[in-house]
Amino acid sequence: MSLRLPSALDRILRPPSWPANLERMPRVRHVGLHYDTEWSRKPAARAARRAVQEGLLAPLTRLVTSPEISGLEHLTPLEGAVIFAGNHSSHLDAGVLLSALPERFRRKAVVAAAADYFFDRTWKATLSSFLLGAIPVDRVHVNRKSADDAAALLAEGWSLVIFPEGGRSPDGWGQEFRGGAAYLAKRCGVPVVPVHLKGVRPIFPKGSGRLHPGHVEVRFGDALWPETAAEGRGEDARRFAARVEGAVAELADEAESDWWSARRRAAAGETPPIRGPEAAAWRRAWALPESARRDARPRSRSRAKPW
Amino acid sequence: MSPRPGFVLEVDRSTPPTLFWHGEGFRYEQLPVGSRVLYPPEPHAALADPDATIREALENPLGDSAPLSALLFAGMRLTIAFDDISLPLPPMRAPDARQRVIEAVLDAAAQAGVDDVVLIAALALHRRMTDDELRHILGGRVFDAFAPSGNLLQHDAEDPDGVVHLGVTEAEEDVEINRRAAESDLLVYVNINLVAMDGGHKSVATGLASYNSIRHHHNVRTMQHSRSFMDMHHSELHTSNWRMGRVIAKTVKVFQIETTLNLDTFPSQFGYLQRREWEWKLRDRAGFFSTKAALERTPVALKREIFQSIRSPHALTSVQAGEVEAVHASTLDNVHRQQLVPIEGQADIVTMGLPYICPYNVNSIMNPLLVACLGLGYFFNLYRGKPVVREGGVAILSHPTPWAFHPVHHPSYIDFFDQVLAETTDPLEIEAKYEQSFATDPWYIHLYRTSHAYHGVHPFYMWYWCAHALEHLSQVIVVGGDRKAVRRMGFRPATSLADALEIAEDSVGREPTLTHLHLPPLFLADVS
Amino acid sequence: MKALVVERLPQRFAAARIAAAVLGSGSGVAVGPLRLLEIDPPALPAAGWRRLRPRLAGICGSDLSTLDGTSSRYFEPIVTFPFVPGHEVVGELVDGPDAGARVVIEPVLGCAARGIEPPCAPCASGHKDRCENLTLGHIHPGLQTGYCADTGGGWSEELVVHESQLRPVPDGLSDEAAVIIEPTACAVHAVLRADVTQGERVIVLGAGTLGLLCVAALRQLALPAALLAVARHPVQRDLAATLGADQVVAEDDLPRAARRLSASVAVGRKEGRLERLGGGADVVFDCVGSSASLAQSLAVTRPGGRIVLVGMPSTVHVDLAPLWQRQVSLLGTYAYGTEEFVGRVEPTFTFATELVAAAHLERLVTARYPLERYEDAVRHAANAGKRGAVKVAFDLRRNRSWQTGGA
Repeated sequence: MSLRLPSALDRILRPPSWPANLERMPRVRHVGLHYDTEWSRKPAARAARRAVQEGLLAPLTRLVTSPEISGLEHLTPLEGAVIFAGNHSSHLDAGVLLSALPERFRRKAVVAAAADYFFDRTWKATLSSFLLGAIPVDRVHVNRKSADDAAALLAEGWSLVIFPEGGRSPDGWGQEFRGGAAYLAKRCGVPVVPVHLKGVRPIFPKGSGRLHPGHVEVRFGDALWPETAAEGRGEDARRFAARVEGAVAELADEAESDWWSARRRAAAGETPPIRGPEAAAWRRAWALPESARRDARPRSRSRAKPW
Repeated sequence: MSPRPGFVLEVDRSTPPTLFWHGEGFRYEQLPVGSRVLYPPEPHAALADPDATIREALENPLGDSAPLSALLFAGMRLTIAFDDISLPLPPMRAPDARQRVIEAVLDAAAQAGVDDVVLIAALALHRRMTDDELRHILGGRVFDAFAPSGNLLQHDAEDPDGVVHLGVTEAEEDVEINRRAAESDLLVYVNINLVAMDGGHKSVATGLASYNSIRHHHNVRTMQHSRSFMDMHHSELHTSNWRMGRVIAKTVKVFQIETTLNLDTFPSQFGYLQRREWEWKLRDRAGFFSTKAALERTPVALKREIFQSIRSPHALTSVQAGEVEAVHASTLDNVHRQQLVPIEGQADIVTMGLPYICPYNVNSIMNPLLVACLGLGYFFNLYRGKPVVREGGVAILSHPTPWAFHPVHHPSYIDFFDQVLAETTDPLEIEAKYEQSFATDPWYIHLYRTSHAYHGVHPFYMWYWCAHALEHLSQVIVVGGDRKAVRRMGFRPATSLADALEIAEDSVGREPTLTHLHLPPLFLADVS
Repeated sequence: MKALVVERLPQRFAAARIAAAVLGSGSGVAVGPLRLLEIDPPALPAAGWRRLRPRLAGICGSDLSTLDGTSSRYFEPIVTFPFVPGHEVVGELVDGPDAGARVVIEPVLGCAARGIEPPCAPCASGHKDRCENLTLGHIHPGLQTGYCADTGGGWSEELVVHESQLRPVPDGLSDEAAVIIEPTACAVHAVLRADVTQGERVIVLGAGTLGLLCVAALRQLALPAALLAVARHPVQRDLAATLGADQVVAEDDLPRAARRLSASVAVGRKEGRLERLGGGADVVFDCVGSSASLAQSLAVTRPGGRIVLVGMPSTVHVDLAPLWQRQVSLLGTYAYGTEEFVGRVEPTFTFATELVAAAHLERLVTARYPLERYEDAVRHAANAGKRGAVKVAFDLRRNRSWQTGGA
């Protein structure tokens, strides 16, 4: 059942065959870390993004997550570029964080997104850059090019939203914070604001396709400045990263109990770590707080009905 | 006001008609004057604080057993087995009793630092459950902690490496159970005792066994000598399981946790199902008659969906934990306390209306074989002492008995009904000629292991369950059933109860005595 | 003499085809090319030809196809108009030393009947069914008596047959038993050609006349381990069981029954409905010959098995991928010739006659009609299954004592 086009149309639509004795250049595709996101920061793109974010994405996110935001007073004295470092458990995290930011930060913010996931295909790269203002970063190592690009953006006053864990939590507990955010903060002299997102995982957990509206709490902490007098830059970045992780852990503790108990525990150095207990998988899952469990509600019955 | 016990009503001229279950619907039948109707007891009070009672039971075990916390230590292999979706009926409202018990056990295990924990659904030869069904039984917290890491298993009786031979009983019966369960340091079994048949050694010896083991007591001879299988002291089924359980107890440490439920079987909008007809208020009468009429006009698929989505409010009345036999004795006391109804003498005819659900069609279709199994297997055997109907009497069942089978859940039933029953209905002949080929058919085994199908041999067990009744009765009549399906099973179809009584006269003569079993809610008839 | 004649009238064929398509098979007979006419009996074409008066003449599926206008165009060169249909004939010889003797005819017109010397190789070895010279010789082209303009056919009061086509009828056999010998020979030939060995699992699809005869032939001549018949109508089901099928099922239940027959696994199960099997039966006799039946046959034949097409098929559209991937052989069987069976080398008709006697196959002749009621006869034959009949025949024994015997 093949259609035969009239030969005139066929000649136009069908690309010509390449002569066998000529070498053919491989097609170059700019994806992954090489994707150039500059276009999404041009005024036209920014205006369009703002319209979509304010008009569609932010209201939708608020509808699904009903966020409760606290700690905004920590942001008032800050000016210029800021790095926002949050815990990561769901694809919704970036959207939730962005919609919780004050407008002055949100309108000039980029989101660090994993190059191998959000930028591996051209259409995904385009979508991520446009909707979120994302820039590609390597999850594991500090890639020279993306680090330079990010530093340049920070220098221009763009704030950065980044999730130092490198990926979403596989089991509800946090992972070790990597050094990328800390390195950039040191290099550009910008502060890091720790952010804790509570309750996002049950809404859209890793590995599930279904969205369950719920209730999210966003807590901003006190900004952390990198220590300038230091002995080795590399070591410093790692220690700084650990400091940021500790700050997020304190915010998590505050979210699960109350501010005062959390402060006391922080003072005594007894803040429970975000990485959870060292035990078998089921015991780690057993010890998860309810806000981090995959799904607290009973689901509807299986769709595959026999009749 | 304390709940009233069950009782026997003698029908007289001012007795209103009686409610009969009729699959996904009801009938309203006037029983002849002089008939007796067995009504179930009213539901007993539920436990005020079930979680506390469970924790207390775990720490104060019965029989020769240490408390659970003393049995748990870091580095051990712990296996928790639990009853599958055949219980309770109808399925419970969240949280399920097993969810409560397993969460309590896991809290204790977490405190003791036990890492190697595996949960096993004790299916025996039943079908595997879907994720949603497991989530309903275990609750989201337990399911999400164990399912993703592959530590929530469903017993696979046909896995050659998953089953281990533990020995033989003194009656030369093979004892083979799930390997992981047998090789654990502690096997905790979480059971729901809906009727007196469940629990005890049967939990592990059947629930976690292989076909090679089960065939020793799931056969015609055993069922004919179980009078009834709801009374463990007169049941060959239980005697065999007890022998096997004792062999298992020699090598496997079992901590048995049994629970009983009260008879609060139906939600409040179906309250008239649990009330006596003459005590129906306006609300009950309106509810019953409007529902009955509406159901008669509803398409079958929708009716099934409505009924299968009923969640019962029945609640825990007791929790026992510890050594198997001591625990079971206490459980039986509780079951009897709630369910026993004494009655004197047998009748010529027993009538019963069959509901839409039996242990083997939860979320599924009730095919004719299951109708027979429910009526002549389970309900007929809900007696202690003697059957409610005399030898040579007649049983009249009421159910639409559709010629319909669930192709995913019951594939072997279709072939059994088409091919085996078309040739003969005699259980002994069927066992001798066909059981082997169905039990070893590779396709049925494949479906049992990978899909959601009952094992190839399961329809045979449904027929064997009726063996005692088929031997005892002279005739079985089905009111309102599909004629072809009813005849295929060797029964007589009738369009109404009056016609059925007419047909019965051929066997039991004129002016027969009649007893009607007004269930569910379930009870146990104590016949003297 | 009175005779039913099919003439070359394209518009009548077209009308019949439309009627058959709209109202079902057999309904085109009133508007179709078949008519009852007064014609002269056919002349003897050459020496060696005899005159025959039919007593009973059966209606066959191939005749119905011709009358519906759905016959394949393949047959056009080997059918000559006008012809009298009817190739299942038992009759009396009119003259000669054995006048009055009862015979059945082997309708295939091979080299001997056509007077071709020397005969082609198949005819020489007794396999007239494979004759290569169907269009030559001193009679018009025609594959069988009943499709040839020169010979006449069974649906008339007289026809001519060649000596090589005559087979005497044993005295103990009734006319009904005799008229069923020809279709039985087709079934016997099919079973022997399929070479069903002992212990094979066999399915017979279709329980019309040929399907039922195949069941009987399989039961008597082969020793299958299991024999499953697929029948649509209750009368057919009962007969299939009586004639020796181990199990009889309806079409929808075939995959399930075939799976149990061969204890194999199913492939590509959708929501519990079995469609294809991993294994399957060793031999499948397709006695229906439609696209659906061929697809069904391919679904239930084991890899390396064989499907035998018995009876004339319609033009089918079938996906041959299963045939290729499962290395299934598709065999056509037509008519009969000479068979070798348990050390005997005899014409198929001999084995067929024995089978008819042994299995009492005369009960398959369920209805008889005079020539004048040919419209009713054809409609009955076309709806035989639905109306509880199997073989419908024209009864030409007027003014003679009725012989009872058979169904």
